[in-house]
Amino acid sequence: MLAEKYPNEVKKILAKYPPERKQSAVMPLLHLAQLEAGFVDRHAVVEIAGICGITETDVAEIIGFYTLYHDAPEGKLRLQVCTDISCALRGADEFLAKVCERLGIQPGGTTPDGLVTVEAVMCLAACDKAPMFQVQGPDGIAYHENMTVDKTMEFIETARKEVK
Amino acid sequence: MAKMVSLTIDGRPVSVSEGTLIVNAAKTIGIDVPVFCYHPKMEPVGMCRQCLVEVGRPAIDRATGQPVIENGQPKINFGPKLETACTTPVSEGMVVLSQSDKARASQKEILEFLLTSHPLDCPVCDKGGECPLQNLTMEHASPQSRFLFDEKHHAEKRVPLGDKIWLDRERCIQCARCIRFQEQVAGEPVLAFYQRGRSTDIITSSEPPFDSIFSGNTTDICPVGALTTADFRFGARPWEMKAAASICSLCPVGCNVTFNTRREAKSRARTGTTTAGGKVVIKRAMPRQNEQVNEIWICDRGRFEWHYVEREDRLEKPLVKKNGKLEKVSWKVAIEEIGNKVKGNKEEVVVLASGRLSNEDLFNLKQLADGLGGEALLYDSLPGGELTTKYGVSAGTNIGDMGAGTTILVAASDLYHEAPIWHLRVKQAAERGATLIIVNSEATRLDKYAKHLVRCEKGEAAKKVRELGAAVKDAKNLVIFFGADGSSALAEACAELVKSRAGKPNNGLVGVWPRANDQGALELGFKPAQDLQAVFEKASVVYIVGADPIGDGAIKTQNVKRKPFIIVQELFLTETAKLADVLLPAQAFTERDGSYTSGERRVQRFYPAVPALGETKADYAITALIAAELGIEVEGRSAGLVMDKLAAAVPAFADITYGKLAETTEQWPIIGRADLYYGGTSYQNSQGLGVPLGRENKKAEEGSL
Repeated sequence: MLAEKYPNEVKKILAKYPPERKQSAVMPLLHLAQLEAGFVDRHAVVEIAGICGITETDVAEIIGFYTLYHDAPEGKLRLQVCTDISCALRGADEFLAKVCERLGIQPGGTTPDGLVTVEAVMCLAACDKAPMFQVQGPDGIAYHENMTVDKTMEFIETARKEVK
Repeated sequence: MAKMVSLTIDGRPVSVSEGTLIVNAAKTIGIDVPVFCYHPKMEPVGMCRQCLVEVGRPAIDRATGQPVIENGQPKINFGPKLETACTTPVSEGMVVLSQSDKARASQKEILEFLLTSHPLDCPVCDKGGECPLQNLTMEHASPQSRFLFDEKHHAEKRVPLGDKIWLDRERCIQCARCIRFQEQVAGEPVLAFYQRGRSTDIITSSEPPFDSIFSGNTTDICPVGALTTADFRFGARPWEMKAAASICSLCPVGCNVTFNTRREAKSRARTGTTTAGGKVVIKRAMPRQNEQVNEIWICDRGRFEWHYVEREDRLEKPLVKKNGKLEKVSWKVAIEEIGNKVKGNKEEVVVLASGRLSNEDLFNLKQLADGLGGEALLYDSLPGGELTTKYGVSAGTNIGDMGAGTTILVAASDLYHEAPIWHLRVKQAAERGATLIIVNSEATRLDKYAKHLVRCEKGEAAKKVRELGAAVKDAKNLVIFFGADGSSALAEACAELVKSRAGKPNNGLVGVWPRANDQGALELGFKPAQDLQAVFEKASVVYIVGADPIGDGAIKTQNVKRKPFIIVQELFLTETAKLADVLLPAQAFTERDGSYTSGERRVQRFYPAVPALGETKADYAITALIAAELGIEVEGRSAGLVMDKLAAAVPAFADITYGKLAETTEQWPIIGRADLYYGGTSYQNSQGLGVPLGRENKKAEEGSL
């Protein structure tokens, strides 16, 4: 699937690593697999395991470990709110709870229209600008810092229009 | 000899070899440092922090390089922090305190942390009663937790990891023992962590899930009830069960096992495959430590496939064919019937026995055949397998000792499926530096550990082995595992390579037999049956024990012109048994005692686990009854007495007695005592490590080979 859809990209990624260390290519390959649907499906896991010469369980473990990889289709927009200690001191917990309340979901949940998922994640290295969240898109990761609940809802509304 | 290092642990001096970890040094003098993630069979990781101890080291004077002496004693510097006993190697003069206030406080705190995310469902947990977390909590923890009960971690409790193992996510304490077992010991990394922190879960993504024949072992080393077997789950509480030492009967490795049994309540209608009410039944099979055979592991076949002995269609009474129908009779009638038929046809008696039988059964059958002047044949063994009685591996052989300098050749055998624990141990030998050569027509799971992989057509293995000749000639040690490849040519080619090495430990042949005691049958002088069809044509009496040649398709009855008188001794009404003129019900190996000879030529005892079924008798005793009827003296009173006769008659078994077979020595790692957290729930071996066979005769050893 990957090899068919993105043969050049796969080749380019593999070229970056010595052949005996090709398992290192697992990270960029996962990003590639996630590009379109926003998550890595089972077929891609099997394929990447094959390309990298590691087990499917190894690939699944990596997806599980990193918050930027997903193995299930959730909302198109994933708001990942940092709730680690420094952010918590600046009210990240409360921020997360309020955003979820406004959207009518639980942390980790997705809105009924399938647009927004809100989840708590570990440190994103922006302690001084908490509350903050990140959103991963095709062009990379965007940080939204010094957020309030209202600003967040505005952001979501803008995004909702763009999607439609 | 490694350099020795002296230290004191809790005030007691101990001297161990350099590089030993504190936890193991403590173990050797009976001090149990609590652990969860550490396991003596795996690399230490120090991730559970349960084993934190105070460690002091002698202060060294920088100017002189000598220890600083204060008040006539070396000055000991303690670090500001505790250290993990499972990752810290000992050093000269070290002082370890595992019971100091500081160490005990930390052990208590770690347990308190673990219990914040562990459900206290011990009353319904399979592990309850043999659970490291439960035991350590009782020993070290506080009865009160400072954490909020409402914030306790909750997770899925019924997650199937494949069809044999269940995961309870809530109970998992993330020690990674199961993951590391699959990675380091089994070599099948099919388990992994998913997510992190408190959300960490065990997952498998292989297809089929948890794709490993060694999966059951993870339930033994799991220090909590997170991993349980589908087979035993909610089956019994550990303290209700009795333990009986046994030997796995499913392959030639001869893994030492323990059967746990329980008398079922009268009201309990069924358990597993059997009607239970009031009966003593087997609840589970556990590994029993024998570092020279199976270490502390068994494969999933050994753990789960013993159920056949409890099937409901077991024969319970002797049967005699009357008017074409098998009818229940007394033993007396059945034996008399045999006596009448055999008396007139003594020379044409053929005994056809299988390698499922014990040494004692086979010896008695051979005595009977010899007494009658008949033939004793072994059903369906390995072509050319009898060469192992001459060139089989010698006493003192231990795959666990093999490493650099040893060459292991595996020819035409898929050890993973045919003898899984040999696969595991050969794999480890290869990782220690042994040269592994594989000659096979098909890919096997052992291939990736091979230094040389030789692919060949089916039936060509012998040729390829001969071609290897020069390459393996200079190996310091050479062990050859061989399987079936059509003809005896393979066995001969393998024998040729080890001939000059006879009698040397860690050298010789190992037959990968289809059954547990094929080796024993051949050692006792059974001849491999060649053309069964011809045997049936020629014989007037055929005495078939533990074999089903008709069900297996080895004999086509419609092609047999002359029908002999058929005596069958069996557990079940097999296709062959249906044709019997007399059908005798035998005891399963779990109901009696006896011994098997493993493929590595180790004689090992098994003991009765459950009472005998109905009127069944042990095979050796039935043979003795028949012999007595025919006026031949054969011992049948007890298996131990048969062994005495056997040892006196067969040189390779000389000196073997039931007493000797029951002897044990201390093994490392020390497992199965009060501290199950160290080695897991594998049983300590207190019932015998077995005895390797001697040479068949001295001449074969020294002879002109």
